[in-house]
Amino acid sequence: MIKILLEKELRDIVSSTKFAITFGAAAILVILSFYVGIRNYEESTREFEAARAVNASNVASLTDWRQVQHKVFRKPQPLQVLVSGVTNDIGRTTEVRPQGELTLINSRYNVDPLFAVFRFLDLNFVVIIVFSLFAILFGYDAINGEKESGTLKLILSNSVSRADVVLSKLLGSFLALVVPLLVPILIGCLMLIGFGVPMSGTDWVQLALVIGGGLLCFGAFLMLSIMISASVTRSSASFLLSLVIWIFSVLIIPKGAVLVAAQAVDVPSLDGVEAQKRKFTLGQFDQRFQKMGEFLRADITRDETWSQRFVTFQDSLNKAYEKEREEYYRKLNEDWRNKKDHQERWAFALSRLSPTAVFQIAAMNLANTDVSLKHRYLEDLNRYQDEYAEFLRKKTGSSGGMQIVMRFSGQQGAQEEERKPLNPTELPEFAERGRTLGETISASFADLGLLALLNILFFVGAFVRFLRFDVR
Amino acid sequence: MKQQPIIEAEGLTKVYEDGHCALDHVSFGVQPGEVFCLLGGNGAGKTTTINIFLGFLPQTEGMAKIHGIDMRTDPLEAKKHVAYLSDVVMLYPNFTARQNLDFFARLGGKRNLTKEQYYSVLQQVGLQEIAFEQKLKGFSKGMRQKVGLAIAIIKEAPAIILDEPTTGLDPKAANEFQSMILHLRSQGRAILMSTHDIFRAKEVADTVGIMNDGKMLTIKSRKELEHEDLEKLYLNYIHGKVAA
Repeated sequence: MIKILLEKELRDIVSSTKFAITFGAAAILVILSFYVGIRNYEESTREFEAARAVNASNVASLTDWRQVQHKVFRKPQPLQVLVSGVTNDIGRTTEVRPQGELTLINSRYNVDPLFAVFRFLDLNFVVIIVFSLFAILFGYDAINGEKESGTLKLILSNSVSRADVVLSKLLGSFLALVVPLLVPILIGCLMLIGFGVPMSGTDWVQLALVIGGGLLCFGAFLMLSIMISASVTRSSASFLLSLVIWIFSVLIIPKGAVLVAAQAVDVPSLDGVEAQKRKFTLGQFDQRFQKMGEFLRADITRDETWSQRFVTFQDSLNKAYEKEREEYYRKLNEDWRNKKDHQERWAFALSRLSPTAVFQIAAMNLANTDVSLKHRYLEDLNRYQDEYAEFLRKKTGSSGGMQIVMRFSGQQGAQEEERKPLNPTELPEFAERGRTLGETISASFADLGLLALLNILFFVGAFVRFLRFDVR
Repeated sequence: MKQQPIIEAEGLTKVYEDGHCALDHVSFGVQPGEVFCLLGGNGAGKTTTINIFLGFLPQTEGMAKIHGIDMRTDPLEAKKHVAYLSDVVMLYPNFTARQNLDFFARLGGKRNLTKEQYYSVLQQVGLQEIAFEQKLKGFSKGMRQKVGLAIAIIKEAPAIILDEPTTGLDPKAANEFQSMILHLRSQGRAILMSTHDIFRAKEVADTVGIMNDGKMLTIKSRKELEHEDLEKLYLNYIHGKVAA
């Protein structure tokens, strides 16, 4: 019996005008999101390559490694095509100095504020806004709509159990909508290959999980709206209720969660932290000049080894201040980070009341474009900074930092030597370590599980509600 | 000799949780080849009776049997022997008349029917041939009602329950519908029909049960009604001028 009902459900949905219009719109948006994402990725890659070439050319135009203002650029990731997450919000360029705090500048939205206004169209957006709405449009009258049209009574006047009816309704609606939605997604995947986006095996697995998460999000809304349809007598009322839940889920809960978390957990502003850092650094600056003055006044013999003594003094001074500053910055940063983490945990926990927010968090984790991207990237940069400092030490004999370079006439030969242009390929290569597939999956596992759980809960809810549904 | 009724109500009572008594010890039986009309105004208990017979509502007391099977103890088995048509027959607007018929026929246990068999039933109920493969979204209420009746016929159930089937039909469509009911009666089906249309009841009914406030006030056979004005009788019962 369930087979007959399932067939009917599939045919009824697929043959409707509502399906043709909504599916057409969803399909266009899915394909468009892939296309826009691919184009953005290509543009980002071009910008990345160009920036690297400019950096290399700048290095090659110099003759002394101490003059180099070495820049590192964040490499675009293929999965940002589909889930841009925070990738456009955080800086792409970092000037790497051998010491000191590294900052990310030149974010996509910073460069093109217009995009910041409307944001990019990505698969994440399509799932959150379009798929969820699509699910509601087909689920809100699944049960009470059949009651209104008299078909529910007609079905149940036959030797058909209510369990069969509701199971076929839930499974049929899901299959009838999900299978067609997979078609534009598949086309999008082929576009990734066709446009030559360098997707690794890991990327494909992550993409499959993002799509799976999207379908779970869609399923959660579908089951929820069917549950509402089995709980409310009139379809107009269930539509209104579903729409209100959708608005709360998509617009109010995620934003509200951030606001509530900001009120609940007080985190000092970044400007405040920066001001503290500046004050500390300026204090160190004064102290350093004072100590250098003392050195110059105390060691007045300008013999052949004076220059070396001065460099050694500067180095030890730099190291001491650098260590002190790093320690102070680290404490400040750690304190800020801890508070921020606490605030973020609150915000995420509250936002998980919304299935779309759960999907968003899962998708961003899977695409590695989540809020910790900046933190992870800075960790990689800090590791690279040590490598770069070591490289400079080998090249210049100095650990970098603020230095006064003094030359004497006897060092002419050495100057000639230094005038040779630098070879940028000697620079250590920066590589983002990123996350392994295992780390990525474990970061999104709980949210994918939560989405699956919501599907089960709403499925059971719809099932139970229908068993008690007044069909009269 | 009186046969075993196909549709049988015995002391059927429905009291809702709020204490409202929708049905008060209603008893009647519908024999094969008999049209039994439940006549009454809104809230008389006609639809409640039908809802109990279809298992949509559990009775508080009494028994509702279809083909000798108690609806309460074995509803799925009982429903194999009954076909139903309600006043709201929207059906599936994206399906054609034949597709609607096919779906409900298969639900009713009629598998592997040919296109010709479907067409034959649709023809039987008077649907124009051109409409057989047309989607229902453009159908008038009368046309949809014909498809609904075809659904009830194709099940070949011995019992047919019709809940205000002529409501909203134009006189021509209602007349055609009436002819179909009489045709089904001639096939030996037991037909239980609720209506508040006294004229229609008099035209088709072999037996009329007048209901008011959940009570079966009287049951009159066609023979008994021959010399009576049904409208007057009905109003007298409703206004309590005749003792129930």
